Amino acid sequence: MNQIEPDSALSDDAVRHVAHLSRLALNNEEFAGAKKDLTAIFTHIDLLKSIDTSGVEPLDHPTELTNNTRDDTVGDSLTQEQVLANAPATKDVYFDVPKVLGGSA
Amino acid sequence: MSSVNIQDLDNFNAFHEVWDETESCSGSLQGMTIAIKDNIVTKEGTTTCGSKMLKGYKSPFNATVVDRLICAGATLVGKTNCDEFAMGSSTEHCAWGPVLNPWDKTRVPGGSSGGSAVAVAARMCNAALGSDTGGSIRQPAALCGIVGFKPTYGTVSRYGLVAFASSLDQIGTFTQSVNDTAKIMHVIAGHDEFDSTSNPEPLPDFLGNLNTPIDNLRIGVPSQYRGDQNDPAINTAITAAIETYKNIGATIVDIDLPLTDVGVSTYYVLAPAEASSNLARYDGIRYGHRTSEKCKDLIELYAKSRAEGFGAEVKRRIMLGTYVLSSGYYDAYYNNALKIRRLICEEYKEAFSKCDVILGPTTPTVAFKIGEKTDPVSMYMNDVYTANTNIAGICGISIPCGFSEEHGTPLPIGLHLQAQWHDDVKLLRIAQMFESSTMFHKQSPECCS
Repeated sequence: MNQIEPDSALSDDAVRHVAHLSRLALNNEEFAGAKKDLTAIFTHIDLLKSIDTSGVEPLDHPTELTNNTRDDTVGDSLTQEQVLANAPATKDVYFDVPKVLGGSA
Repeated sequence: MSSVNIQDLDNFNAFHEVWDETESCSGSLQGMTIAIKDNIVTKEGTTTCGSKMLKGYKSPFNATVVDRLICAGATLVGKTNCDEFAMGSSTEHCAWGPVLNPWDKTRVPGGSSGGSAVAVAARMCNAALGSDTGGSIRQPAALCGIVGFKPTYGTVSRYGLVAFASSLDQIGTFTQSVNDTAKIMHVIAGHDEFDSTSNPEPLPDFLGNLNTPIDNLRIGVPSQYRGDQNDPAINTAITAAIETYKNIGATIVDIDLPLTDVGVSTYYVLAPAEASSNLARYDGIRYGHRTSEKCKDLIELYAKSRAEGFGAEVKRRIMLGTYVLSSGYYDAYYNNALKIRRLICEEYKEAFSKCDVILGPTTPTVAFKIGEKTDPVSMYMNDVYTANTNIAGICGISIPCGFSEEHGTPLPIGLHLQAQWHDDVKLLRIAQMFESSTMFHKQSPECCS
C-alpha cells in the first residue's frame, strides 16, 4: 500500500501556493471556488490509494519509441514578421514587455 | 456544400468560424466537406481553442492533418467550437458559448469536441476532425448519434494539435459511417517526422478489406461496463448490440477489467499534470492574451494575463496538475498514477489475449441537460468508459447503437469498441460488421434530416 497522505481539505496556504506556482492571480471568489473544487477532486483521486502499486515501474508514455528524431537538415523556418504577428505588443523587431527587473520570481 | 448553408444550418453554435471555399487538390476526399476542431491549427482563419487566451490567434502553419486533407481534395469548411483547450465533457466550457445538441437543444452535445460532433450530426458537413484525450471524440459522437474514432496513440500526427496532455492526446474523426472514417484515416494516418511520437512503422490499408468480416470474432464484455451506473436504456441497447454480434457469428467472452473504476482518477492526475506543463507557454508575451492592467513585474504580468485569459475549468486543471507535480506530492500522486497506468496497460493486454475487441457503452448516460452538472467530479465521470483507452494508448470507436426514449425525445446511445495497439483497421472492420447489420447510423435529428 502506498503512503499517500490525502489533503481531505486543502488549506488556504496550499491553494495560495499552488495558484502562485500556476501563475494564476485568483480573485477571492475564484480562490474559494478553487479550494472547494480541488478538495472534492482530491477526495475522488484518493481512490488510487486502494491500488497496490508496490514493485510496479511507472509508465509515462504509451509508446515504446525512443530517439525518434528527424534528419538534422536545414529547412524553412518562420520569418521574423510571422513570429511577431500574434504578439500582444511589439516594438520595432522585438516583443515588447514590461520591466523585468525589480520583482521576485 | 456552400458555406452559406452551414451558417443557415448552425443553430447549435457548432462553428466558431465558417470559411468560404478553400483551395484543395484533387484526391480521394474530393467532394467531402470536413470541419476542423478549433484546437488544430490552420493557416486559414483563426485557432482559438475555445479560449479568450487565443482570441484572434492566426497560425503561421497548418497542422499535418490539415495539409493531408487539403492534398487529398477535401473541402475544409471551418473551425468548430470545443471546450476550452479541449478540457471538458459537455462543450459548455467554451469562451464562445455552449454548443447545443441537435437531438434536443436543451442538452449538451458532449465534449470536448462538441462542435465537431454537432457539425456532422446536424449534417452541416460530411465529417470533422477532433481530438481525444480521455474521450473527447467518442463521448460527443455517442451523445450526438454518429461515428467517432480515436486511433491508437501515434497513428495520426499531433503536429499542429494544440497540446493538452501530450501522452494522451490523439487526433481522430467524426463521420456518419465507418466507411467515411476509413476513407479519412487512409489520408491522415501515417508517420510524420514532425511528431516524434508518431508511429514510424508502415500502416495497414484502411480501405482494402473494410467490408471483409473478421472470422471467429471474439468479443470481450467486461462486467464492469454493465450495471446500475448506466441508464437502463443504455444497458438495453448494449444487450441488443451483443445479440447483433452473436447473430453474425461472434463469440462473446466474459472478461474482467477491475481497474475501470480508477481510470478516471488516474486520468485526472495524469492529464492535468501534463496540461499544467503544456499550458505554461501562455504567458501573454509572444502571443495570446495580455492583461491591460499595470503590473509591478513579469510574474504579475503572467499571473494576471493567465487569470484573465483562461476560463474556470482550465484554471482548475492547471492548479490540479501543478499540485500533483509539486514538491512533496509528486511521488504520492503523479508517480503513483504512472504506476497505475502500467497496471491498466497490463490489464488490457491480459484482456486482449482472450478477445479481439472489448465491447461496452461509450457513456453511462445519454446527453444531459445544459447546466445540469455543476460540480467537476460528476462531469469527470462521463469519461469512465473512455479514459483508460487513452491511458493505455489503444484505439477505440463509438458507433450508434440505439436511442433512449425516456426523455420525450429520442436521444442517441453509443456502442464503444476498443481494440489493442495498432489494431485500428481490425477495429474498423468489426465496427463495420455492426453498422452493416443495423440502421442506427442512418438516423438524423428531426431538425436536420
